[in-house]
Amino acid sequence: MTSAAIKLDQVTKTFDGRVMAVDAVTLDIAAGEFFSLLGPSGCGKTTSLRMIAGFEHPDSGRVHVGGKDITDLPVHRRDMGMVFQSYALFPHRTVAENVAFGLRMREVPRPEIERRVAAALAQVALTGFESRKPGQLSGGQQQRVALARALVVEPPVLLCDEPLGALDRKLRQQMQFELKELQKRLGVTLVFVTHDQEEALAMSDRIAVMNGGKVEQVGTPTEIYERPRTRFVADFIGEINILEGGGPLRALRPEKIRLVAPDGARLAGTVETANYLGGSTLLRVQPTTGPSMLVRETHAGERASRTPGDAVGLTWNDSDAVALES
Amino acid sequence: MSAAPNRRPFDAGRAAYLALNALLLAFLLLPIAIVLVFALNPTPYISFPPVGVSLRWFEKFFGSAEFMNALWLSLWVASVVLVLSIVIGAACALALARGNLPGRAVMTAFFMSPLMVPAILTGLALFQAYLLSGIGRPVWGLIAAHTLVAVPYVIRTTLAVLHNFDRRIEEAAAVLGASPTRVFFEVTLPLIRPGVFAGGVFAFIVSFDQFPVSLFLVVPKGETLPVVLFNYMKFDLDGAIAAASMVSILLALSVVLVLERLIGLKAYVKL
Ligand SMILES: Nc1ncnc2c1ncn2[C@@H]1O[C@H](COP(=O)(O)OP(=O)(O)O)[C@@H](O)[C@H]1O
Ligand SMILES: [Mg+2]
Repeated sequence: MTSAAIKLDQVTKTFDGRVMAVDAVTLDIAAGEFFSLLGPSGCGKTTSLRMIAGFEHPDSGRVHVGGKDITDLPVHRRDMGMVFQSYALFPHRTVAENVAFGLRMREVPRPEIERRVAAALAQVALTGFESRKPGQLSGGQQQRVALARALVVEPPVLLCDEPLGALDRKLRQQMQFELKELQKRLGVTLVFVTHDQEEALAMSDRIAVMNGGKVEQVGTPTEIYERPRTRFVADFIGEINILEGGGPLRALRPEKIRLVAPDGARLAGTVETANYLGGSTLLRVQPTTGPSMLVRETHAGERASRTPGDAVGLTWNDSDAVALES
Repeated sequence: MSAAPNRRPFDAGRAAYLALNALLLAFLLLPIAIVLVFALNPTPYISFPPVGVSLRWFEKFFGSAEFMNALWLSLWVASVVLVLSIVIGAACALALARGNLPGRAVMTAFFMSPLMVPAILTGLALFQAYLLSGIGRPVWGLIAAHTLVAVPYVIRTTLAVLHNFDRRIEEAAAVLGASPTRVFFEVTLPLIRPGVFAGGVFAFIVSFDQFPVSLFLVVPKGETLPVVLFNYMKFDLDGAIAAASMVSILLALSVVLVLERLIGLKAYVKL
């Protein structure tokens, strides 16, 4: 399967002349990359994706796919795949007809359609469901049909808008693995919209964290997590301690803090609450001065040893406290 | 040992609900039952209890050239009105729901509310308009008038479907390579069809039963069934009227059943 690079160049979109949904966003997405747009609700992820798909026309800026400027190309000539959060299956057509739709639009000969639909359904483990209607499928199955329908035309680009948002936790995790595996196998460029930071960290090659229509940071999951550039990124991804005092703010992850004896530690304090999370325990420690700190105690051997009221000392390496841009 | 099955506890609310339903149904069906009794009654006046069963009024109805001409006229006028109203009504509903028309909110509210102009005024107004413009009273004028009254029903049922329409489904078709025209015929039209046809059933019945508008617009020898029945009733009030009513009811019912068979009106209820 061929894949294409995507380039957003200073793309801006306002609604009703007031709402700045996407504000001068520039992104370079490599061919074959799993690229996530991550951010809170309303930050402009969907609007960005819809401009790549062609449902929204940018007020200014250009969209390039595979080296071609497609800003003014209508949706149906862009040759992309898209999976919607609501799945948007055709309710009046069977599973097989849903999957065949894109091939029919491309005037693929009938025997080839049948062969490719069967292969696509096999790929998402839905062989045998050909003649069902979408209404007779579970959420996870509808999700798979939507995926098969998008991928059967072998698009160079696949766009997914919170495709796993409606699934329960277990199924969601399973689909995360499957989708990632499928994407790597097919080599398709995948732009994935999500507000779930765990999902973005788990699946992406790179992530763009968005806030208020702007891109705050682009990087690999490790870069985003370990080296957040702004306070917003640090706050949005996982738990964080913000250290103040002299110079820029610094961000320190709870698991970078070591629990030691109170004497001679960087900070001494008392455990206020201890949330047992299974693999680790998240402690809130109130130092003698300053704001409370989050500390993650991991359980390699036995389980949590600290309980509220314990006196503890905290220490960490300076290099783990990341300076933030103001 | 298995436990004895639980009996559902008596639910007074549910019982009252069922009783009320039965009562309302009886209220709605009772007049039809009375008409049926009247139609099958051999005497030329209503008597209770009925003195026997006969088909003489049906024979009289079907044997009368005047009734039969009127029935055929009504049937084909209503059929043309059905076709015209679903085409015009569906187009109007799409324009109202999708188009960027000025004042569309007001127009939508107008069409969605119960229609306020009394049909007798519509009939009178059209009569005068036809007269003044020298059109006279041709059959197509009657059809146009019925269509005018029937179109809002189609607009209303179609708008109801469009209101719940998930436009992402159309977008999905577009990404898959369907041009706007193909999206319309492959996705939009099949999905709004149940709403359009449900409105079409109303349109057919509104035309077939139409009296006030027709009264002004028919010519002698070219009268629709309700007008003929009205004129007949002015002089005779016998079972033929009841027989004609039963035939009308059965015809309306069969239109509903045929459409249900063809396109499944149930889908509309579910939307
Ligand atoms: N069609 C629209 N009309 C008006 N405002 C819109 C429209 N689509 C999105 N917006 C606004 O643009 C902003 C970004 O929306 P969106 O891209 O959907 O965010 P996200 O997907 O990140 O939740 C929001 O403030 C939203 O209310
Ligand atoms: Mg969104």
